Amino acid sequence: MGEHPIVFDAVWKKFRRGERHDSLRDLVPSLVQRLTRRGHADELRGEQEFWALKDVSFTVPRGEALGIIGPNGAGKSTALKLLTRILRPTRGACHVNGRVGALIEVAAGFHPDLTGRENVYLQGAIMGMKQREIAARLDEIVDFSGVAPFIDTPVKRYSSGMQARLGFSIAAHLNPDVLFVDEVLSVGDISFQAKCLERMRQNVRAGVTLVFVSHNLQAVSALCRRALVLGKGQLLFDGPTEEALDIYMAAAQNASARYGTQDPQFRLLSAQLTSGAREDAADVITPHARCRLVCEIECLKPANGFAVGIELERTRDLLYCYGVTTEELGESLWSAAAGERIVVTVDFAAHLARGHYRLNLHVRDPRAGAFLFFAESVANFSVEEPRSYDGVVEIEPRISLRRVEQPYVDLDSVTVA
Amino acid sequence: MTHLTADLREMVEEQIRYRELLYQMTRRDLLLRYKQTVMGFGWAIFMPLINTVVFSVIFTRVAPIDVGMPYPLFAFCGLLAWNFSASSFRFALTSLTSNTNLVTKVYFPREIFPATSVLVSLVDFAVGSTVLVGLMVYYGVRPSASLAALPLVVLVHLMFTMSVCLLLSMANLFYRDVKYLFDVLLTVWMFGTAVLYPIANMGPRMAAVLQWNPLTPIIDGYRAVLIRGTFPEPTLFLTASLTSAALLAISWLVFHRAEFQFAENV
Repeated sequence: MGEHPIVFDAVWKKFRRGERHDSLRDLVPSLVQRLTRRGHADELRGEQEFWALKDVSFTVPRGEALGIIGPNGAGKSTALKLLTRILRPTRGACHVNGRVGALIEVAAGFHPDLTGRENVYLQGAIMGMKQREIAARLDEIVDFSGVAPFIDTPVKRYSSGMQARLGFSIAAHLNPDVLFVDEVLSVGDISFQAKCLERMRQNVRAGVTLVFVSHNLQAVSALCRRALVLGKGQLLFDGPTEEALDIYMAAAQNASARYGTQDPQFRLLSAQLTSGAREDAADVITPHARCRLVCEIECLKPANGFAVGIELERTRDLLYCYGVTTEELGESLWSAAAGERIVVTVDFAAHLARGHYRLNLHVRDPRAGAFLFFAESVANFSVEEPRSYDGVVEIEPRISLRRVEQPYVDLDSVTVA
Repeated sequence: MTHLTADLREMVEEQIRYRELLYQMTRRDLLLRYKQTVMGFGWAIFMPLINTVVFSVIFTRVAPIDVGMPYPLFAFCGLLAWNFSASSFRFALTSLTSNTNLVTKVYFPREIFPATSVLVSLVDFAVGSTVLVGLMVYYGVRPSASLAALPLVVLVHLMFTMSVCLLLSMANLFYRDVKYLFDVLLTVWMFGTAVLYPIANMGPRMAAVLQWNPLTPIIDGYRAVLIRGTFPEPTLFLTASLTSAALLAISWLVFHRAEFQFAENV
């Protein structure tokens, strides 16, 4: 166990909810109350506590990049604060070995009245750098941040982006053994974000152990091979990033309120996806397979002039892959009376790359420009394929290489005019 | 016991690892003061000097008292030493609560905050001392062998001030009205300490109680080694030294064990 730079062993963390007595004036009455009504006070206290982390365990071996994802309130920040020793676990143990760098609130130590240069020394010291190290890397830090012309200007005159860039640059030159990164990439422009990501990649390649907490799923998958999914303080998944992203997205979609119409005019009765010649429901499909989605919907209120449509989305990131309606396919608009049932049959070819996908079904009134009905995930399926590649569509590529025969060139005989 | 030794080892190790941060934080506060106020370090001289003038008028003209040395020398020495403790206490009180950003977001030993308050005040103390030297020259005070005991007096003074700062910063983090309470207490404390008059002038019964206030033998210690050319009164000074050392050990340990609750309570 002691071998790993990061060990999180059955960690529980409890917080208090609500207002806390933070003055002596409140303390005295509450003490009196507790003495007189002992049982009641304990009961009250139990209600005000909640577990931000429940029995979470993981280890990170040296040189590995671990992503932590999950919805707000899942316990990601708590986990990070435990790792950086700002908090201590209520139960369990949390060990981090080696020099720790944290790209969290990189500008926390900045004082607005001090100049950029003075703040570099201060923030560097806060992050645990020696004055000598900072002095040696000052030019590098300032160059990286891109605020060189303003380095002797008080930080209060900086934009928030400039502050964050300077803060990140200091942290990036820390040379840690273990690096914790929170949502810091959200600041700075695109080119600076790319620079930061590249810097973190370099760190990982150089053997730094990295823990990356982010809502930026693309950045997580670009940086980490392994990821944890946290939800309501519990560890839901620990494994390959791709799978983690799918699990997180699926959970997030279940949790989110369905953004259907306020007052749906149709109701979904059944939906089934089949593939190829098979009659039974399919959830695993091979690329290019012909698929058929059969849905039955019931009209709840009389509807005049509607079109039925489908949407195909990739589950991991809700990438919109395809969408079409009966109107767009040249069909005339339909009408239905209340209580009438309609069977919708959609035939399509799954020219899709490996991954998880979902189909949404909707009924739309194109003249009013309004959705009469919207059903998310009427069918979920995954496309499986033994080869490994990246993307959305299956384009059946073939790549061949051929060497070009080049005439021999004698460099000595080449003269430059 | 193993728990205690582990804590002690951690406390010492952290101070060594983060010693540069202490320096940087002190530098920050001094720089800020220099930038934000016109007088800068001038305050360190100006404040005790004005007070010395005021109290010299009171205690040499209005209600003359005998202090066994020129009164301005007595008062300035007392005020300078008292101000070191008092301003340390005042800075330390809010040192954690005014740095919420750092306390909740970055880890480093929290002792740095109260320690910075003490160091910044120590710089003022050093600056103000130059005026004391000037006054000593003016009144023709010659340094004697007792000057060798000065570092000891400073050390005890530092230990006592630091331990109170540790407790105050922590107390104000958990209970925010400690600040107001302490403001009142500080005024009372000053008049219960031998800053402006010898403690004996308060009557034998009160003096018997107040002499155990560690700051009284410490401040009298400065006067003894610098001006009177004697060594500090042994019983009282030794008691104050031992009290200060014990208080520092206890308050530091308490602080260290409580510091992991700071981020949740600030």
